Formats: sequence, structure tokens, C-alpha cells
Amino acid sequence: MEISISEQNGVQVASVTGEVDLSTSPQVREALLKELGMGKGVIVDLSGVAYIDSSGVASLVEAFQTAKSKGQGFALAQVSETPMRVLKLARLDQVFVIYETVDEAVNALA
Amino acid sequence: MVEKSNQNAAARFFDRVGRISVASFDEVGRHGAMLLESVYWLVLGPRMNQPVRLGSIFAEMMEIGVRAIGIIGIMAAAIGAMLAIQGIYSLKIFGAEGHVVLGVAFSMVREFAPLITGILVAGRSGSALSARLGTMKINQELDALEVMGINPTRFLVVPSLIASLIMVPVLTFMSMVLGLYAAALYVNAALGMSLAAFFDQTIDVLSVGDLTHGIGKAAIFGVLIALIGVLNGFLVKGGAEGVGKATTRSVVQCISAIVVTDMLFALVATF
Amino acid sequence: MSDTSNPQPSNVIEVRDLVTHYGPREILHGINVDIVEGEIMVIMGGSGSGKSTFLRHLMALQPPTSGTIKILDEDVWNLSQKELFALRKKLGVAFQGGALFSSMTVGENIMLPLHEHTKLDRLTMEIMARMKLEVVDLSGFEDLMPSELSGGMIKRAAVARAIVMDPRILFFDEPSAGLDPVVSKQLDELILRLRDAMGMTICVVTHELESAFTIADRITVLDQGNILFVGSVEELKKHPSERIQNLLNRRSEEAEIDADEYLRRLTGDKEEAEGMPR
Repeated sequence: MEISISEQNGVQVASVTGEVDLSTSPQVREALLKELGMGKGVIVDLSGVAYIDSSGVASLVEAFQTAKSKGQGFALAQVSETPMRVLKLARLDQVFVIYETVDEAVNALA
Repeated sequence: MVEKSNQNAAARFFDRVGRISVASFDEVGRHGAMLLESVYWLVLGPRMNQPVRLGSIFAEMMEIGVRAIGIIGIMAAAIGAMLAIQGIYSLKIFGAEGHVVLGVAFSMVREFAPLITGILVAGRSGSALSARLGTMKINQELDALEVMGINPTRFLVVPSLIASLIMVPVLTFMSMVLGLYAAALYVNAALGMSLAAFFDQTIDVLSVGDLTHGIGKAAIFGVLIALIGVLNGFLVKGGAEGVGKATTRSVVQCISAIVVTDMLFALVATF
Repeated sequence: MSDTSNPQPSNVIEVRDLVTHYGPREILHGINVDIVEGEIMVIMGGSGSGKSTFLRHLMALQPPTSGTIKILDEDVWNLSQKELFALRKKLGVAFQGGALFSSMTVGENIMLPLHEHTKLDRLTMEIMARMKLEVVDLSGFEDLMPSELSGGMIKRAAVARAIVMDPRILFFDEPSAGLDPVVSKQLDELILRLRDAMGMTICVVTHELESAFTIADRITVLDQGNILFVGSVEELKKHPSERIQNLLNRRSEEAEIDADEYLRRLTGDKEEAEGMPR
């Protein structure tokens, strides 16, 4: 699992690749919570995620809630099929703000 | 005809004796195995990410020890007073009431404090352990732990064992103090001996060996209670009725084990 | 399920020549079963068919007399304790009676495997537990004790606990036993949803035909310790064997009687009577 962070129009974009599971999700969580301190908001690009388990999703949920309480934007982008099914299982697809592409998300948050 | 049935009866009798002895050896063996397994998990558990949690040990100490303070305190005081009463009554025959302290101190510290504490903890916690583990067994909770990758011995048995090993001696020490205090109060009322004089004499009479004799026995009782309670719980068969039987069995076994061990310990220690 | 990274579905469970005894009685007489990744395998059979015993073997709770059980390519009874613990983290089990720990709240029950096996943040664990409760439609029940739940709720809470570690293989013991038809149907739907969303391999032991036909990809029928049939629902329905048709039509079975054995049972020869299954 790798997570790289870039900035577009003042919005932090975190691209996650690989497998997010019990052993790697704490890193995702920490990185996201750290990014929430700066910029206008955070977008998590999930296009490279092959597998995400519920601890990974839980980290996303926590980051989303933290962003909300700080009045910042938080969105998911390019959610591929496997992660989407995991989100749908707990009906979280209706909770997260999800965009087709990163650009779309950046435009919306910037 | 008659002879034959007699022979049968004899054969049946020895058959039964044999079966019972095999079963009891088997059970003693299981206790040993359980004890070894507990030590194994205590020592090697952390290496397999299966540590014994301090929190659950404290919870068990609370249940086995702290919640028993009231009843054990009252019983110990009653026994202390009883020893003083009987001591003065019997020593009066020789006009030697003044020596009552000697009798009370020895019997309380070496015998009665560990015994009464052991029996009360057996009644409270030995049975409770059996009931709890037995219920968990018939509800498949033990299987559930196992398939979750949580070893039941490590998770359930070791905390109770350690708690019992620590708390029974601690409670025994408390029993000693309270029993002697109650005795001192009675001696004070009956003979006019001051409390200070009573405890001075007590400390004179008792050696460290007497204290370790009592506390050491209590530690063994603690282990016995936990092992017997746990094993009877693990061996429960057949529903709620089985749990009831195991509970009864556990109390009877605990108390028998305590009394017999007490005798053997006294025999060996005074040899 | 072709969504996993491995396009070729492989066997997640392989059972070979499994023989097992209860005391002197042989319960399973050499069983061979493969369970393929991503499928729902239903194991059926009447009471006394040995299906519960078989499930205990699959969950690695009980060593067999002989034969091998491979789960996720690991020979279960040749593993070190540590390897067995690691394997068990990939298995989830929903027991018949739920087997929730009565001294803990529902939420604590669900979080227990996480507590014991992971170093996740407390909040993450709580979110995971609540997510699983959402999945089984028990949102907001995390602070109740198991004794405050109904039978169907207990089963669903048990499912939530079984899936909290996102296991590769999920076992169900009699999911519909003791439930009314509506609740049992909900549970069937839940099983299907879990397979579809998580790609889990699911193994269900049941004697409920309707439930089995709804969820099964393949069915294994056990009868008196032997495998009578393995195959799809359609194949099962069309199967020519009289015994299977009797089972499907719920005709009661005249069990074949071994006269000597029966006589011994009736006259109470102790050696024979011992070791009956629970």
C-alpha cells in the first residue's frame, strides 16, 4: 500500500494504491487526518486500490467526520468497482461525496 | 446360583472401583495438564500475540477477592471469637486461662484462617467459575473463542488462576488479623487482658514460619479452587442441568481438596 | 466470483478421506469435498448425518481420526499454534445460537476479535463495529446486552462479529434454525449480499431445503457419514437417486437397520452406547 499526496488548486489529493487492510489502514488514517489540518479540503483518489477492507473504510469514515466538523471538504474520487461494493454493503455510497474524476472533485471543492 | 450372583456382585464392585479410580486419575491428570497449559500461555502467550491481559486479572481479583471481603471478614471474626471462647473454657480446667493466647494464635494463623478463607472462596468463586465456563461451553462461546483465534485457557483460565493465587493468601492474611482481633476483644472482656498485651503475646508466640505456613497453604488452596472450578466448567455436558451438576460437583471437590491438602500440608510441614 | 485478483477460482477448502469417531463410533467414513473460492456451499443432511461434526472439522475445532483438511492451502492439523492462529483470523463463524459473550455488550462482542488481533485505533474499531451492525440491519444496538436481543437479532449480531475481520471464509451453522420464515429469509439475503460484496466463500450447514435452494451455488448432501451428492441445485433436483428424492420431498426415511447393533442398543450394552454424539 502506498499513499502519495499532491496539491491541486489548494485542495489536497491523496492517491492511495495497493491493498488497504488491517495492517495498512492505520497509515491511511494518519495521513488523511494530518492532511485535514491544511488546505481547503481532501480528496481521496481510490483508482489504484485493489482491495479495501472495513478498517480502511472506517478510516475514511473517520476522516470524513473530522473534515465535516472542521468545515472542510472531503470527497472520494475514481472509486473502482471492488471498493464501491464494500462501500455499498454498508450503504456508505449514499454518505460519502463521490466524484467520477479527480478534476471534477477538485473543481467542486476548490 | 446364589454364589454366582455374589461373584457377579463382587466383580461389579471391583469393576466400579476400577472405573472410578481410572476416572479420578484421569481427572487429576487433567488438572495437572490445565495447570501446565496455563503456565505455558502465561509465559509464551505474548510471543504469539496472545498475552494474558492485566485488565482481566484485575477484574477477576475484584470478583474473587474484593467482593468476598465482607463475608470472609465476618466469618474470620466469628471463628477467632469462638477459639477464644472455647480456649478459655477448656483451659479453665487447669486454671491456665492466661495461656489462651498461645492456642488462639497458633490455630488461627496456621489452620483456621486459611481453611475458612479457602472454603468460602470455594463456595463463592469455585462454583461461579464452573457455572460461567459451563454456560459458555453449552452456548458454544468457548468454540467461538477458539475459532476467533483466542485461546480460551489464555483468555479465561489464566486470569482466574492468577487472581485466585493472589487473592486467597491476601484474604487469608486479612482473616488472620480479623480473627485475632475478635479473639482479643473477647479475651479482653472475659479476662481483662488489654488488646496490646494480647497482641504482644501473639507476636512473641508466632514465628515467621507459622505465618508462611498459613499463607503458603492459602496459595495452594487458591490454585486448587481455580483449577477445579475451571475444569468442572470445561467438562460440562448436556445443557443447563449439566451446569447445575458441575457447580455442585465443583464446590464439593474444592472443599474436599482443601481439607485433604490442609491435612497433608500440616503432616509434611510438621514432620 | 471473478472480481478477485485471481482469475482462476481455486479451492479454499480441500477435504480428503476424512474419517472421524466419537468414542468407538465412526461418524464420518472417508469424506472428500472441495469448496471453491467465492461460492456458497450448502451442506445438508438430516440429524445424525454427521454434518455438524463435519462443520467442526472444517472450522478446525476438532482433529479427525484420519484424513486431511486443507484450508487456504494450509494443512490445518500440521500447523504450529502460531500459524493456526493466523489462519483463524481469516475465518469467521456464525454459530447456531449466536454464541455471543453474555458478559459483554453487542458492540464489545463485535470488537473483541479486533481488540485481540489488531492494534487499530479505538475509534476505528468502533466505526468498524457500527458499520458491521449497519450491514446486518442492527444499527444502534451496540450498547445492548445479548440477553436484550431477540433470536433473529442475536443471529445477525453473531454475523456482524463473524465478519468484523473481513474473513476469507465464513461458516454458518443452521442459520435459519429457530427463526420464523420472514427473518430466516432476511438472513438468506444477507448471506447472498456478503458473498457478492466481499467475495467471501461461504459454507452453510442447514437442513432447511428452501433456504438451501435460495442461497446455494453447490450443495453437498451428507447421509449417515457418507457423501450422497455434491453438485448444483438443478442437478440435485433432477437427481435419480430415491434417497435424495425422499429427502427433497421430505418423505421420512426408513433408516437401514443393522439388527445386531439395534439389539445391542435396546439391551443397553454399555460399551456400544457410549460415545453418542451430542
